[in-house]
Amino acid sequence: MNFSWRRARSVALKEYKHILRDPFTLLVTLVLPLVFVGFFGFVIDLDYKHMRVYVRDNDQTSVSRRFLQEAASSGYFDLKPIHGQFQLDQALERNDSPALLVIRRGFGKNVRAGNPENPGEIQLLSDGTDNVQASIMGSYMQGVVQKANAVFAKDNPDLTDAAAGAGERIRSRFLFNPELNSRWFIVPALSTIIIGFLAIVLTALTVAKEWENGSMELLLSTPVRPSEIVLGKLVPYFLLTFFDVLVVFLLAIYVFQIPFLGSFLFYMVACWVYITGALALGLVISVVTRQQQASIQFAFAVGLLPSFIFSGFIFPIENMPAFFQYFTALFPQRWFLLISRTVFLSDAAPATLATALGAIVVFASAMILLAVHKFKTDVEP
Amino acid sequence: MTALRAEVHQVSKKMGRAQALKRVDAVFGAGEVHGIIGPNGAGKTTLIRLLAGLLHPDQGQISYAEEKDALSGSQAKRVTGYFPQEPSLYPDLTCEEHLEFFRDLYDLPQAEFAQRSEELLRATGMTPFKDRPAGKLSGGMYKKLGLMCVLLNRPKLLLLDEPTVGVDPVSRQELWDLVYGFAGENMTVILSTSYMDEASRCACVHVLSGGEMLDSGTPKEVMKRFNITDFSEIFLNHESK
Repeated sequence: MNFSWRRARSVALKEYKHILRDPFTLLVTLVLPLVFVGFFGFVIDLDYKHMRVYVRDNDQTSVSRRFLQEAASSGYFDLKPIHGQFQLDQALERNDSPALLVIRRGFGKNVRAGNPENPGEIQLLSDGTDNVQASIMGSYMQGVVQKANAVFAKDNPDLTDAAAGAGERIRSRFLFNPELNSRWFIVPALSTIIIGFLAIVLTALTVAKEWENGSMELLLSTPVRPSEIVLGKLVPYFLLTFFDVLVVFLLAIYVFQIPFLGSFLFYMVACWVYITGALALGLVISVVTRQQQASIQFAFAVGLLPSFIFSGFIFPIENMPAFFQYFTALFPQRWFLLISRTVFLSDAAPATLATALGAIVVFASAMILLAVHKFKTDVEP
Repeated sequence: MTALRAEVHQVSKKMGRAQALKRVDAVFGAGEVHGIIGPNGAGKTTLIRLLAGLLHPDQGQISYAEEKDALSGSQAKRVTGYFPQEPSLYPDLTCEEHLEFFRDLYDLPQAEFAQRSEELLRATGMTPFKDRPAGKLSGGMYKKLGLMCVLLNRPKLLLLDEPTVGVDPVSRQELWDLVYGFAGENMTVILSTSYMDEASRCACVHVLSGGEMLDSGTPKEVMKRFNITDFSEIFLNHESK
């Protein structure tokens, strides 16, 4: 007996009716993306503003005051001057600030001299218990230093160009997201999480449900083939998940005003492949466990956790130990996240993402084959 | 198109740790209504699932034949209809949607389907309930719907696992009438039951107890051999041994 489109279509049609009549599935699929976008897009704001910073200005020159003025006008820092050791101790004891900025004596003199060997230095002492905030603060402070340098250079036209840049120790520019706006970073990545979780859970339930309500036994006694059931189950959930992707996409563009610079077609193709892979993974779980409860637990373990932890969504992959950097390569979430962020924020040629797309193609194909292969055509335990 | 004959030869099957069937022999002649009778746990469901091709014997063989021609397991599966004991329909789909779903699974042409489903709906008296979801059907109607779904394909072998469990006496009578109405030269029926009073309705009974086949034959022959007036006595006597 050959593969029958008619049987596959009838399974898809039946599944479609289940979805329409099950308010829970429909609600979850329609509401979940809104919840995710609302939560990560609005509530969680990784952009730090008005961070309280104690300032100890030991230089007390017009140059140091000019620098502090520059720092205050950036909007990132609320500067609280402290005087003397006693106030410093008090401030440390209160522990209500993430950082202390120290300007050494001689700062103004060094800046004016413009000697590259001996630049004006400031010291930023950050509270490392919140490493995210500490590193963000560090990068903001660099921005302030750059701006201050430009101001000093303008104020002192006698300095040569090279000397004007002397105070500037690190040159870094953030391409594609110059303000390091965290929403630009997070919202494009949300599709990864939503698909990686929702798609897996949706299909993880379907086959297990058929086993639990007994319909699988009846189904297996008909001529229907595993490949037909697998395809029939993939299609309706594919459309449902793809709808969610479009919702997140439109919210990203129109509500969060995130630029989309890459190839839309490439992004869509990547979405389709990734959705298919995630759905097929759910089917594999369902086919193997045959129980809804076990399926859900598995789906959380391989869907939700890796989506957050191994995708680079929260923890940058470059900062992981070597083993985990390779380990994350096993998860399609990592590759799709890379694609989403890249196509949104840069106009890189699709060819640069070929490896990532290749990885999710391999994953999706493997999952489909596995689902069909593991699908049992009998009721042997 | 003729009914299928099935033969079970020295079949043993373990389900988990329990030995569900021990060297069972049985011949299910073509075109008859066969009853596999036995108490709960006798191995009736295992035997029916083996016949349906949903389980595979540990030892022994099951063979199928259409007149003189032997059929392979997969050939036989294509012309076998099976309705399990446990609820196995989709509660949210209506009767009509079930029939349409099975139409596509069996790849039936629309004209044939229209005629066949009309015929089945009339025979079962289910026409007024076409649009009712399976989850809202009574026990008897639920079984009738299941029967209609598998009968769409005009099976040559029909396997029913305890079709009358949870069904009121009037509907039970109706189900039996239906089964006899469809059985005949085109279809063999094998059903299981733990209601001993139903044994005498079968043309041929196969008495299963504790995974062993105790006897096969017409109800009268079997009763005579065991020297009993009621089938339940077989099991009462057998289990007290």
